[in-house]
Amino acid sequence: MTDARRAPGAVPRSGMLRLPARTRRVLSFVGVLVTLVTAWEAYKLAGRTGVALPVSPDNVTMPHVWDMAGELFSPARRGGEVLVVLLAKAALFTLREALVGFLIGAVVGFGLGVLFVRSTLAERAFMPYVVASQTVPILAIAPMVVIWGGRIDIPQWLSVSIISAYLTFFPVTINTLRGLRSPDPTAMELMRSYAASPGEVLWKLQVPAALPYLFTALKVSASASIIGAIIGELPAGFRDGLGRALLSFSSAFAVQSAKLYATVIFTALVGILLVGTVTLVERLLAPAHREAA
Amino acid sequence: MSAPPVVAARSLGKIFAGGAGDAVEALREIDLEIDAGEFVSLIGPSGCGKSTLLRLIADLVAPTSGRLEVNGKDPHRARLDRDYGMVFQRATLLDWRTVARNVELPLEIMDAAGRQDRARHMLDLVQLGEFAGHYPWQLSGGMQQRVAIARALAFRPALLLMDEPFGALDEMTRELMQQELLRIWHETGTTVVFVTHSIPEAVFLSTTVVVMSSRPGRISDVIATGLSHPRNEDTRASQAYYDTITEVRTALRRHDGAAT
Repeated sequence: MTDARRAPGAVPRSGMLRLPARTRRVLSFVGVLVTLVTAWEAYKLAGRTGVALPVSPDNVTMPHVWDMAGELFSPARRGGEVLVVLLAKAALFTLREALVGFLIGAVVGFGLGVLFVRSTLAERAFMPYVVASQTVPILAIAPMVVIWGGRIDIPQWLSVSIISAYLTFFPVTINTLRGLRSPDPTAMELMRSYAASPGEVLWKLQVPAALPYLFTALKVSASASIIGAIIGELPAGFRDGLGRALLSFSSAFAVQSAKLYATVIFTALVGILLVGTVTLVERLLAPAHREAA
Repeated sequence: MSAPPVVAARSLGKIFAGGAGDAVEALREIDLEIDAGEFVSLIGPSGCGKSTLLRLIADLVAPTSGRLEVNGKDPHRARLDRDYGMVFQRATLLDWRTVARNVELPLEIMDAAGRQDRARHMLDLVQLGEFAGHYPWQLSGGMQQRVAIARALAFRPALLLMDEPFGALDEMTRELMQQELLRIWHETGTTVVFVTHSIPEAVFLSTTVVVMSSRPGRISDVIATGLSHPRNEDTRASQAYYDTITEVRTALRRHDGAAT
């Protein structure tokens, strides 16, 4: 960024008027939302004129935005809970698995990064397997983990968390490794001139330098951990999570498409929540880093 | 002074092993003694091994042949004993630490007591006391380099090694920094070994200028500047200053003829 060196609190030159930063952020978010909704409805409107469109704009394929919103507040099943309550419970359930998986994945990923930076031999030996692990589809891994987990008697939700961790650790490993190697060679020599121990080099130089890389990875991993949890719920046969909700609503797509859309939007919100939390932790932990966003 | 020399090199040589057998002889037959309290500049064309010599003293690279002692010890022992402070061409401050915490870094690693007071004192010495709470990227290049000097001296090493520390600064800042460095040198009594490729800089700062020639790197002349202290703007205008510059320049030309 060209203005990365500006002093904190300096007034940015361009941007929306002179509104406070927070107001501007909210406004731009709402602006994009309104634009997306308008585009969606405009597309449907264009369909009415009889123009040939690649995706049919009928109310099943593309329900009205207000129908999706309406579905959120009507009962999910006849006489059952309101959809939004059902989804909130499901989201909480999935979020718990995803969060545990995310934490396991982050710790394992960071640990592998540290191991690899300390030992080139370990990197050469294990890196191909780490990469290979990510090319095997999670759909193939998930049932195995659930079955193995059942054999060794760990709680089923933990099996789902492990599947989630499986998707989480990889970006963390790669970025941690890169971040730990990011300090200038001169900075490494400086530490050497102080006769610093490897641990001191790691914690005083390499880890702080790696934090921006690490948090970038954690944001990627946060959303991946939710996907991992949702996919893990399917072979585990969980009825209470978002995975089941997505599955059952997608089978009813032909008649009640708005429900699936509503669920998809809700799932996205869960992802945003988790990524937002990571961003918040980043602000608390690494406030002194140059503004990179 | 009767103390042993701070740096003593005898027949010191360094050969860097190349990729396909083409080794590079960086230094050959270096004999050098630096006494306590001296300000010695190493000057020469690029590739003359002046930085390599400094890095040998710092035990950042190992010699191939000959003997080298720092404070009467093996350079490795001297590094472990934290006998020297080092300043590089780039300030190499840690972005996430405030100026004061950057100066505290070596003190933390060495587990020294009274770190904050020590850092504050050092920042006062380089006249950056009021910037203690700033972050490095909020400072100019010259200020950053002054922080690096404060950091190098924070644990009171008897020897300061400087590798083209002002090379990246503009001329105005550079002259100010030279003045500052001399003041600090006087106040602390530290021995300084200073690598530069600027003749006026070497002459203005040093008690002794070591002229090196390249391929392989050797010491071709050792010139005592003999300029009086304190040195200031009058020094830069004096005849003795110009004469010494000419002497160094002639020495450089004599040994490196056509080489640029």
